[in-house]
Amino acid sequence: MSEFLETTIDKFIFRVAADRLYRPDGVWAVGAESQRKWLVRVGLTDYLQQLNGDVAFAHVKPAGTMLAAGDEFAELETIKANVSLFSPIDGTLVEINPDLDLSPEVINQEPYGKGWLAVIEAADWQADRAKLLDANAYLTAMRAHAEEELKKS
Amino acid sequence: MSQTATYNTTVRWKGEHWGRLEMGNGPEMDFSAPPDAHGHPGVFTPEDAFVAAANTCVMMMFLWAAERFKIELLSYECRAEGTKLIELDRTEIFTRLRLCPLIRVAARGDKPENVEARVRRALQSARKYSLVANSVKSEIVIEPEIAIVEQPT
Repeated sequence: MSEFLETTIDKFIFRVAADRLYRPDGVWAVGAESQRKWLVRVGLTDYLQQLNGDVAFAHVKPAGTMLAAGDEFAELETIKANVSLFSPIDGTLVEINPDLDLSPEVINQEPYGKGWLAVIEAADWQADRAKLLDANAYLTAMRAHAEEELKKS
Repeated sequence: MSQTATYNTTVRWKGEHWGRLEMGNGPEMDFSAPPDAHGHPGVFTPEDAFVAAANTCVMMMFLWAAERFKIELLSYECRAEGTKLIELDRTEIFTRLRLCPLIRVAARGDKPENVEARVRRALQSARKYSLVANSVKSEIVIEPEIAIVEQPT
């Protein structure tokens, strides 16, 4: 069970799972070692899912796709926008969340849990993880982004 | 992202229990109160306007949601009913809005249960993102009847 940092911006409450690492744009990554490989589960943050609205379709690139950090690995079609998601690490997509096909709303309902997107077999997890933000740093980046969005009013 | 927009209407008293309504988007019409509230039959009333505002707004939002959810809509018709409560102090409130849409969609070769699930999600999004539905304090209940048509004629 993840623990969460929580912040309120305007009338919205956003949670950040404390047990994982983040791209500043809102993709999370959590690694687990298995048979000398690092398998990194990825998804999008509570902030990113709230910002973009109800997910209608989630298109994740197929298993076997080779990725460099920063490559697009998924696109979400939401009620309000199309959202490209970029890989936090170098590696190969090895698993796609099977629930996304018929129930993509799990991304909105449980962005840090059942709404995970994919598993990437990392090429060099130890090197890539050093380039990602921890939960506190992501929370700061997220707050800054949200405050910029609010200034657009 | 906290953007604002304004909409306007103008009402003008025409004598007795009659008024003239000019809507910001162009139409003009006479209005009165309902006959049971000392008004006239056969004309627009605030009560009808309130129920119609929610009904029309949810429908327009559903049309948008249907496009985003890639639903081939064949027909949509919705009867809406507002329930008024007269309180002990004689103030009145719409406590409940009940929307009963009849929705026909094409299966387009997809499994009917999958199409129906998408229609229900689109309806939930329509309710969530409807400006008017979001703005009222009445309970809003949507009771859809959904027909999936294999081969539309």
